[in-house]
Amino acid sequence: MISKIEETTPFIKNFEDVAQSLLSKNDPLWLKDIRQKSLSRFRQLGLPTVRDEEWKYTNLSPIAKNIFHLPTTGQIIEKEALQKYITQAEINIVFVNGIFSKELSNLKNIPKGVTILPLEEAFQKEETTFKSISKKFDPEKETTFVVLNKTLQTTGIFIKVAATSIINNLIHIIHVTSVAKDSIVTFPRTVISLEKSSEATVLESHVAFSDDSTYLINALTDIVVEENATLHYTKAQKESQKAYAVTNTRVWQERNSNFNGMTVTTEGSIIRNNLDIILNGEGATGTLDGLYSIYKSQLVDNHTMVDHRVPNCQSNQLYKGILNDAAHAVFNGKIFVRSIAQKTNSYQLNKNLLLGKKCLVDTKPQLEISADDVKCTHGATIGQLNEDEIFYLRSRCIDKRTATKMLARGFVDDLLNTIKSDSIHQKMNLLLEPSLSAL
Amino acid sequence: MSKSTDEKLSNERTIEENSLSSKDYKYGFYTDIETDHFPKGLSEKVVAMISEKKNEPSWMREWRLKGYRHWVTMKEPHWPNFNYGPIDYQGVSYYSAPKKYNEKKNSLDEVDPELLKTFEKLGIPLTEQKRLSGVAVDAIFDSVSVGTTHQSELAKVGVIFCSMTEAIQHHPDLVKKYLGSVVPYSDNFFAALNSAVFSDGSFCYIPKGVRCPLELSTYFRINAAESGQFERTLIVAEESSYVSYLEGCTAPMRDKNQLHAAVVELVTMDNAEIKYSTVQNWYSGDKEGRGGIYNFVTKRGKCLGKNSKISWTQVEAGSAITWKYPSVILQGDNSIGKFFSVALTNNRMQADTGTKMIHIGKNTKSTIISKGISTDESNNNYRGMVKIMPSADGARNFSQCDSMLVGNKCSANTFPYIEVKNSTAVMEHEASTSKINAEQLFYLRSRGLDLEGAVSLIINGFCKEVFKELPMEFAVEAVKLLEMKLEGSVG
Repeated sequence: MISKIEETTPFIKNFEDVAQSLLSKNDPLWLKDIRQKSLSRFRQLGLPTVRDEEWKYTNLSPIAKNIFHLPTTGQIIEKEALQKYITQAEINIVFVNGIFSKELSNLKNIPKGVTILPLEEAFQKEETTFKSISKKFDPEKETTFVVLNKTLQTTGIFIKVAATSIINNLIHIIHVTSVAKDSIVTFPRTVISLEKSSEATVLESHVAFSDDSTYLINALTDIVVEENATLHYTKAQKESQKAYAVTNTRVWQERNSNFNGMTVTTEGSIIRNNLDIILNGEGATGTLDGLYSIYKSQLVDNHTMVDHRVPNCQSNQLYKGILNDAAHAVFNGKIFVRSIAQKTNSYQLNKNLLLGKKCLVDTKPQLEISADDVKCTHGATIGQLNEDEIFYLRSRCIDKRTATKMLARGFVDDLLNTIKSDSIHQKMNLLLEPSLSAL
Repeated sequence: MSKSTDEKLSNERTIEENSLSSKDYKYGFYTDIETDHFPKGLSEKVVAMISEKKNEPSWMREWRLKGYRHWVTMKEPHWPNFNYGPIDYQGVSYYSAPKKYNEKKNSLDEVDPELLKTFEKLGIPLTEQKRLSGVAVDAIFDSVSVGTTHQSELAKVGVIFCSMTEAIQHHPDLVKKYLGSVVPYSDNFFAALNSAVFSDGSFCYIPKGVRCPLELSTYFRINAAESGQFERTLIVAEESSYVSYLEGCTAPMRDKNQLHAAVVELVTMDNAEIKYSTVQNWYSGDKEGRGGIYNFVTKRGKCLGKNSKISWTQVEAGSAITWKYPSVILQGDNSIGKFFSVALTNNRMQADTGTKMIHIGKNTKSTIISKGISTDESNNNYRGMVKIMPSADGARNFSQCDSMLVGNKCSANTFPYIEVKNSTAVMEHEASTSKINAEQLFYLRSRGLDLEGAVSLIINGFCKEVFKELPMEFAVEAVKLLEMKLEGSVG
């Protein structure tokens, strides 16, 4: 216990200082109130250690050793690389080092029915929507990193799609971290609200185009999908190889709504994704797919939670990963089926392909079921490439490395091909390229 | 140390209750036999007293005391997915034996006939002439072993099968070498407690190259009120030997919870195999969840030699709370660990059970098949761990855990931990949860089966993979046990 206190004190102190500087600002009272409350809860929770069941396999002590600062500049150095990644014609919302960049963003062609506001403005203009969304997620269950984000949120984006609007354009939110002298910390905050019978496609990218900066990203994305609405949501992560990222995504689904989610992760020193889905209306369908391709000594930790609160809902999860070198993957999927949630149909599978000699996998697919008329299955596999398949390819004069790549590609494409938007598909290929060609 | 009036009253009540609800739990009777027991409480003195009572050598006493001293420093664990009230460790009597029990008996004829009757009532005839089936039994009544059958026959092939007390007296070298080698006294809270106060248990040693001609069996019976049972079983299989071992348990119905904290250790050398089967039917408490046994057991096997094999088969149908994870440490190259389990919970029973497979040697293999059935308001958990260490090249695991829910007040949970530290490992895990298929039920009923018959047939099919691993007599008993338990909870 002593070591825990010693280790995490600087971390907590670090963020207390940052919080104090924010509290002196002229924010609306209720926001100050959230900050105050979250800060005291953050103090109470502290930084989790490997003794916490939720963090059993992910050691945060490398993060705790650093002192992080709020970024001071929103300038990007690797502008060209970024231009290559974004498509000009789409709706682009760009944050550089957590600071909104008007110059790089494209908010010109916003279709009718879509409201996009910086968080500061949304706090005032959309106060009621904002409050009703934050009420949906139980503050008692918020974890350290959720409350930390809530304490220190400064910038962010608010997206609302009005009832019955179908948006075909891709809404692309990009969080770029550019080289900074000090270790910086950013707190991206995104709030997406889809009103009744609307549909939209959102891509949220966390990217860096240099490999040697150390920083911490603590993101919080809240999504509400109302009746009959459909959201296609992709989260892409390609951080610097020394970066730490903890993302929290919370989804609330109403009757007959559809959440089609995908998380693609490559590169980063320690990446932890928490994805919570609450199915609160009958007939809702939640899909949470994930893909990770990691190498060197990177760690990717995906924690998902699906809460079936009402009858007749469906959830599907497929997480696939390729591990090379000494990479470490963690997967923990929880499915809760409440006692009234009869006729639930829930599926979960985690597949890992081990290509490196020293890679590690810790997986824990977990079911907690209190209703009897349900169909729930989960599974996990860990294995290597099929030798027969490699032999077949080699007998066709394909060298071993290419054969491995081809098979790995097939493993990945299985999931990538489910992405409907071509633009997202292309972008994901671009991000996955370095890790796949390193095989 | 005779019984207090209090105890007598509670016994009368138990007997009365028995006659009323004997349909639910037919082993709930109680034997009125004079006992010799220690006053309640636990201290170094009590540990020393147990050791003295058993006339143990000093190294054994030291070992117990070490266990006790370690236990004092530990905290009662509460991580499983169930709740239980505080256990008063000072409110338990740590030694209880039938009064007419003497240290050593020449033959079973000298055993108190009252005791023999008890075991007969349980369906375990101890008198050898009545025995037809080829099973050697070690019967444990409260804290002591009351008789071991077929010892002479086993001695002919060199197999040692006796109570732990005897083993400490007659085979101290073997006990000293292996006791605590798989489950050290510092392993966990209940193992430490057991190390300090264990009163008896079975010891079994199969010499090199011997295939044990009989199935060995231990029958555990808790009789006294306000006592716990802390037994310790140790089985050692030398090179190229084989033994099949069975374990059965029952207890009277009482409205207070009783603690059963046993430790089982298995060791296999090169090419040896141990098959360990359990049919656990401790009293599980009444419909409101009063009474019943807390079954907190540490069971672990170690495949020490190459090509060795350990398999655990368990049918868990009793206990208010079952909390156990029979595990296998796969240390020898090419060793194999297997785990087959059926856990049935009804009324307000809670079960958190599963296995641990630790792969250390090369090309080690493990299989886990777990079937959980929960009915009424019970809570059934599978918690398992498969750990593949960096040294375990070519390790292979297959796990399957299925749960079936009968009724909508029960719950079934699965917590598999999979930790792979070697990239040549191949492992698969699958789990499903479902209810009894309505179409299958309809089919059977349209063929004239009543609802209970149909449900029991489907559940038997669901558990078949596990039942077929059990020795024949046990399989029959297990099927009957499930039928009895499911009675009244369906429909």
